[in-house]
Amino acid sequence: MKAVKINLSKDQIKKVLLSSAGFIVLVYVYFSFFLGPLNKSRDTMLAQIDDLQGKVANSKNELTKTAKLEKQAETATSRFAALKALSPEGAPIAWFPPRIKTFFANQEIDKATARLETSSAYKETDLANWMRYNWIIELPQADFSTLGKAVAALENAEPLLSITRFTAKALPEDPQFQQVTMVASTAMVKR
Amino acid sequence: MALHLNLLHEEILQQRQRQRDPLKIGMMVIAGLGALMLLYYLWNAYKVLEIRNRFGQAQHDWLKVEPKVTAAQKRSAELNGIISTTKVLDGMIDSRFFWAPFLEKLSRCVALNAQLTSIDGTVQEDGRITVLIEGLAAGREPRAAAEELRQLLLEQLGQSYKEVKVEFKTLEDLDTIVKIGGSNQAMARFGINATFATEAAKPSPTPGARSKAREPKS
Repeated sequence: MKAVKINLSKDQIKKVLLSSAGFIVLVYVYFSFFLGPLNKSRDTMLAQIDDLQGKVANSKNELTKTAKLEKQAETATSRFAALKALSPEGAPIAWFPPRIKTFFANQEIDKATARLETSSAYKETDLANWMRYNWIIELPQADFSTLGKAVAALENAEPLLSITRFTAKALPEDPQFQQVTMVASTAMVKR
Repeated sequence: MALHLNLLHEEILQQRQRQRDPLKIGMMVIAGLGALMLLYYLWNAYKVLEIRNRFGQAQHDWLKVEPKVTAAQKRSAELNGIISTTKVLDGMIDSRFFWAPFLEKLSRCVALNAQLTSIDGTVQEDGRITVLIEGLAAGREPRAAAEELRQLLLEQLGQSYKEVKVEFKTLEDLDTIVKIGGSNQAMARFGINATFATEAAKPSPTPGARSKAREPKS
């Protein structure tokens, strides 16, 4: 190999150094202020495009899933609406005692009364919009068979009502009739 | 050999030196590289513009879909809430204890020579039911009449409920004589404790340790 010997004067060396410095500055400026930001913005946009396309694809799945869920939940929705309809608007203490009085009157048991004992929220998170009300229902005079039929009708008509305590005492002066006290718990929508 | 005289020696040398000027060559190299870099930059910029268009399109698509997705997610959460609430409410409904069938069974057990004076029943936290039944029984053997009622009650409740226990709490003879069907009969006062569980009653929360592994079914 033939060695090339370059003889450069001082002035030429200065110029070569100056050119090299210029070249380095050019490369630095090019990558730092032109190509770098451009590539960065391109990468950011590509990532955002991927993200958006993923979201759009997921959204299609989400819409399909919701449509399926809507079909599956038809029964639950109608049942939920029916259960919700058991709690009319207004404070339960305003409408529940008259409803019970009317109910037992229709069952030929007069003078039924219902008093609110306690009310509390449910611990279950699914029942966050529901309240538990405990009522004391008193029937001062009822004969056994009428009472049995009335209780059966009550338990069928009020699915969210559960009798937790049942007390019946024969009336001393007329043992054919009983004095009945029931503690009933009901689930009602918070209003 | 002919003599060749170069009289422009200095001028030629200067011209060669000008042509070999490193600064000039460097500037040319830099300019060339700069041009290449500019072209590369422009090519990249063009691609970025294309990507920006795609990004705009994707954003447009997403903006079109987003309200529907948000509404769908909201509806989905609402439906899931409805389903789980309905499930819990149905569980409550199914686990209720129905008093009417119990009263019917009780009425079937009371013979003509017995009379109930009080019934006090409670549904316990674990779903078990305890009932205290008090009454009077009459007959030549009033205790036997009360026992008959207890046994009948045990049989009747056993048909529909689990873990049925019907036991006397009290049973005492009374001095009173009662006339039934024209004959005088002795009386006894009884108190019966009945406990039972419905099908929906919860099992004991702390079951005992299993003594041995379950054997496979043959």
